[in-house]
Amino acid sequence: MRTILILIKKEFLQVFRNPLLLSILIVAPMVQFMIFPFCADYEIKVLDIVFIDHDHSSVTQDIIHNFNASDIFVSHGVIDNKKEANKMLKHDKVDIIIEFPNNFEQDLLSGEATRLAITANAINTTKAGIGVGYTQEIIGGYMQEFQERHAHYDPDKIPATLNLSYIYWYNEQMNYKNLIVPGILVILVTLIGCYVTALNLVREKEIGTIEQINVTPIRRWQFLIGKMIPFWILGMAEFILGLVIMKIVFGITVQGSIPMLLGITAIYLFVMLGLGFFISSVSENQLQAMFIVLFLFIVFVLLSGLFTPTEGMPKWAHYINYANPMSFYMEVIKKVVLKGSAFISVQRETIILTVMAVIVNTGAILSYQEKSK
Amino acid sequence: MEALSVHQVNKVYNKTVQALQDITFDIQEGELFGLVGPDGAGKSTLFNILTTLLLPDSGNIRILGLDLINDYKQVRQEIGYLPGTFSLYPDLSVKENLDFFAVMYKSDIEQNMDIIRPIWKQIEPFSKRKAGKLSGGMKQKLALCCALIHRPKILFLDEPTTGVDPVSRKEFWEILQTIRTQGITVLVSTPYMDEATLCDRIALIQNGKILEINTPADIMKQFRGCLYTFRSEDIFSLLNALKECPLKCNYYPYGEYCHIAFYEDMEKAMPTFIQFLDERKQEHGEIKPIQPSIEDCFIEIVKMNRHE
Repeated sequence: MRTILILIKKEFLQVFRNPLLLSILIVAPMVQFMIFPFCADYEIKVLDIVFIDHDHSSVTQDIIHNFNASDIFVSHGVIDNKKEANKMLKHDKVDIIIEFPNNFEQDLLSGEATRLAITANAINTTKAGIGVGYTQEIIGGYMQEFQERHAHYDPDKIPATLNLSYIYWYNEQMNYKNLIVPGILVILVTLIGCYVTALNLVREKEIGTIEQINVTPIRRWQFLIGKMIPFWILGMAEFILGLVIMKIVFGITVQGSIPMLLGITAIYLFVMLGLGFFISSVSENQLQAMFIVLFLFIVFVLLSGLFTPTEGMPKWAHYINYANPMSFYMEVIKKVVLKGSAFISVQRETIILTVMAVIVNTGAILSYQEKSK
Repeated sequence: MEALSVHQVNKVYNKTVQALQDITFDIQEGELFGLVGPDGAGKSTLFNILTTLLLPDSGNIRILGLDLINDYKQVRQEIGYLPGTFSLYPDLSVKENLDFFAVMYKSDIEQNMDIIRPIWKQIEPFSKRKAGKLSGGMKQKLALCCALIHRPKILFLDEPTTGVDPVSRKEFWEILQTIRTQGITVLVSTPYMDEATLCDRIALIQNGKILEINTPADIMKQFRGCLYTFRSEDIFSLLNALKECPLKCNYYPYGEYCHIAFYEDMEKAMPTFIQFLDERKQEHGEIKPIQPSIEDCFIEIVKMNRHE
């Protein structure tokens, strides 16, 4: 017990004497929280639009008016020249072109099939997708209105319109900060758990202190526990700091049970600590460890569903994700923080993370033992 | 009684590099035993094995009656190890390092102060300084304190004076002598020949093999040749010329001097040698007979082994 205590004490002494590490621990979460959520934002605030009107009818005027009346669309006028419109699209002046064909109104009234062309700049796929969605909504809305107004003409001849409407649940304003901020929390915990631990242990290898420790009668597991507890505490402190920033700066409160969230975070941290140890035992120096962590980290983040929803990934990516602790933890964070889910809905993730913690740590102890004896 | 008994130890790295070959030697309790050899001779490998950091491929090692491989846990409590490179925590203070290693060995600083006091007194004024900020000699003293704090019965020192200034080296060896008087068996390795004479016995090691084990005095007595020295202005051309020397001899540069050991009847050989030098137009100072140093002996032993 005394042995483990002095190991923990030693670790904290070293952490608090390492100004670089300390500032990383404190400044990194601040910076990530302050900058990232404001930049990594998929919310579309402005869509630039231009109209090509070959019809010049009251219907097209009404539709253009509807677009102008919306908050999102900024009209760049009505022009006749298609070439010029394409040029505007090419030079990023507009995001969407809407082209009304000749006899648009007449065809509409007589029930003839008519086409309305929407051209969107798909360089930014999110913007294009959402832009087209909004466009359809406005046109669809107008069509319904149009149908009702002209119902006395000949209902059979008027093309039926579909009323599409979206409600974004759990993130009602489709506010991406609500998704990104908890995601950053996940990144933070992962970084502390895996990165800092791996580097710390490899450093002991580099400066040779591990040899000096290995000739003492101390047991392997004592040494590993003495390493784990300090970084586990740091990770939890970092997580709590993250929750506080989340509340103060973004006003996001944890909807679910906080003790349960802390409990699952504790388990996830053990997975990451074990991974850090494993990486440190297979690498010779901090540089190697850094590369391995970086590689895993990028794979974990990209597959975790922070930037792109996991549902849209191909099947093989799903299979890889079964080995990605971050994706399970991300799921837990999203469910507990945003939805306020009860334990029953994160039970599966918790069990998987626990199993992972056991496997990874067993592997770490074994590989460590193999190398040192 | 033997404090350490090494029998037929072999170690091969990567299936090709024979780092140690049939190493066999005994160290008596209370002995100051030196392991002398050039870099790459296998000294550090042997130390790593003896300090339970590395497993030998074959062979038998007993430390204080314990089997090194099976009882390694007990062995670790009984030995102290000072690695070749400074390996304490540079960001912990002198005192914190000592506290840390005392607890690692479940030992008490107060109880064992008597054993480290002579060394500790010298570094105590710096006890609040970070270990990384100490001078080379001070670092070694601190490392020695940390290695002795659990009152080990055997102390292993792997090249403790490499990279340490001559004054600190001398001090360090004085400290080793006092440690010995406290009944601790010491095994020290060094590439410096002058330090070898300070040991009770030394083992000469080269290419993973022990060439000779004896007291420094006996090793020097065993010198077989007649050793001469002379100064030369151009050592390089002299050494080149000596390649064709008709006499049975062994020569090597020694600073500005050339050392040459003859295995001939010197009364006849010396005139031949001088004539040889003159024929080759080699300038040379007075050729004087000298007593072989431990270094000369080591070179002779290495050469002899190569010829056998």
